[in-house]
Amino acid sequence: MKISLIMRLLRHPSAGWEAVRAEALSVRDCYARYVVPLALIAPVASFIGTSMVGWRVGGGDVVRLTTDSALRISVLTFFAMLAVVYILARTIHWMARTYDSDRSLPECFCLAAFTAVPLFLVGITMLYPMPWFVYFLGLPALGYSVALLYTGVPVMMGVNKEQGFLFSSAILALGLVSLVGLIAVTVSFWGLGAGPAFRT
Amino acid sequence: MSTASPEVYNYTVVRQFAIATVVWGVVGMLVGVLIAAQLVWPALNFDTPWLTFGRLRPLHTNAVIFAFGGSALFATSYYVVQRTCHVPLALGPLASFTFWGWNLVIVLAAVTLPLGITTTKEYAELEWPIDILITVVWVCYAVVFFATILKRRVRHIYVANWFFGAFIVTVAILHVFNSLALPVTLGKSYSVYAGVQDAMVQWWYGHNAVGFFLTAGFLGIMYYFIPKQANRPVYSYRLSVVHFWSLIFTYIWAGPHHLHYTALPDWAQSLGMVFSLLLLAPSWGGMINGIMTLSGAWHKLRTDPILKFLIVSVSFYGMSTFEGPMMSIKTVNALSHYTDWTIGHVHSGALGWVGMVSMGALYYLFPRLYGQKIYSVRLIDLHFWMATIGIVLYITSMWISGIMQGLMWRAVNEDGTLIYSFIETVEAMHPYYLVRFLGGLIYLGGMLLMAYNVFMTIRGGRAVEAPVPAPAH
Repeated sequence: MKISLIMRLLRHPSAGWEAVRAEALSVRDCYARYVVPLALIAPVASFIGTSMVGWRVGGGDVVRLTTDSALRISVLTFFAMLAVVYILARTIHWMARTYDSDRSLPECFCLAAFTAVPLFLVGITMLYPMPWFVYFLGLPALGYSVALLYTGVPVMMGVNKEQGFLFSSAILALGLVSLVGLIAVTVSFWGLGAGPAFRT
Repeated sequence: MSTASPEVYNYTVVRQFAIATVVWGVVGMLVGVLIAAQLVWPALNFDTPWLTFGRLRPLHTNAVIFAFGGSALFATSYYVVQRTCHVPLALGPLASFTFWGWNLVIVLAAVTLPLGITTTKEYAELEWPIDILITVVWVCYAVVFFATILKRRVRHIYVANWFFGAFIVTVAILHVFNSLALPVTLGKSYSVYAGVQDAMVQWWYGHNAVGFFLTAGFLGIMYYFIPKQANRPVYSYRLSVVHFWSLIFTYIWAGPHHLHYTALPDWAQSLGMVFSLLLLAPSWGGMINGIMTLSGAWHKLRTDPILKFLIVSVSFYGMSTFEGPMMSIKTVNALSHYTDWTIGHVHSGALGWVGMVSMGALYYLFPRLYGQKIYSVRLIDLHFWMATIGIVLYITSMWISGIMQGLMWRAVNEDGTLIYSFIETVEAMHPYYLVRFLGGLIYLGGMLLMAYNVFMTIRGGRAVEAPVPAPAH
């Protein structure tokens, strides 16, 4: 993983995307060098945060998860993130022709992976898992990811700005749908008895 | 057509409803922002009964759904049916009556709801005398609409009119049957249904108010204004017809998902869930049709912010019609029901889909109704971004607070007692209610920009008399 590449993308999105494209990563490299290490941040942080640090709601006591429960949830979160990147990349590739893009699968994976960089990084806030704290820092990260998406699509997919706007909007809609899907799957698991186990 | 005075379209009633849409939009959203503020700062009800959340919340929902949304539907359906049938609106005076009648209904709602005069049925709170007036106005609406279709000069009935027609007919049936009641006094009546039947009829109505009022009608808008603004034919006309029949067949069964884990028989709940899941297919068929129609118009995007409204509205349509079926799954619903997640879901549909597509259609209509370019394209662009940011703040805050509520409500100690009291859960919602209020405020700000932009456009324009062109075939 090149930290400089990620910093460049965050500080100068347009130039950063050009640099990402110039790397010409294969799907494997994209996953092995970037997605996997970045996707580890949130699960590791949330394991530490939810099992050791804990959080409070209202004026209540500190709530923590049992170590077992926190471990299970962290591992599932990790794989869920890998899966969402995969699904998004595949659908971007599937939609590419509609928006006059001839780019191949690796570019689509890089687009999905690097768009999510701010969200991967903000996972660190799970070290202190107060819901409002995570939310208030997560929201700007989400906004930054959306901005990266809109700047990244023209570069990575080789389309002009206007087509890029339409393409990005379609990807954004899919991203939101994946997010909702993820929430629904998570909540279903909870409902079926695999819920978080709290200790106070 | 060589007569001395050529036929002109009836734009008068369209203009009236278009302006009413903007005015009621501002009013309805303002009330929404006020009650959102009350949830953050409860003192804002000033200990005045008619300013309390319980009285104003139905006023908000009625104002945005029936006053704002309803006026948008009247304006667009009257416009579309004339233009696509190549005839002026049938029965002009009756159309005019629907405008004044509908606005009388709105004013009566604005008076009775704050006074606490209510049937207590959600989205059908208005008491029986107003319900009768609604029925009369609605039947006149149906007569005007279908009489115009009957005297059309083109054989084909364009698909937008099918959606409008289905919306008009179904809403009439829903309204009449759900509102059947025994009057006691002028301001009090009792539903003719008892117990769980009453609940089932109510949610058969309630969900189809969403399905037909807020979906089928607005799909009529989508199928006319998206091809028009993109200047391209509908991506797949066949898909639009399949979309129509599958949507109207499926939606009507989905109501029971509002009554999961209640006294409603379990099989009826499961039936509602299955039909809600099936509903994903027609909904997404419609979304794909809209997005694909727009995707060829990319070269217009640079100069045309109206297209952005339409694109984002269809995206939110896709998102919320995915979220809805997910939430109808019983295990998900066990957590999500009665929480803010539901409120967030409704608003991603209402602000994202219904609001944005209406705004797009209105920005299309006003210049054509007043023969004047829109006053400021930059303000439209600004409105677009304010609306989008407002929605994102609204939805994300409600996701978090909804899921937290759901988890806290069902958290139990080892001895089975509840960990959290209700008020503790309310306290935990405070930061998210603040964000929701800000989101709503920004969205309302965008609506105010629109009102200003429209006002300035109208001021510089004049009422257009558009001649009816001869049909091409």
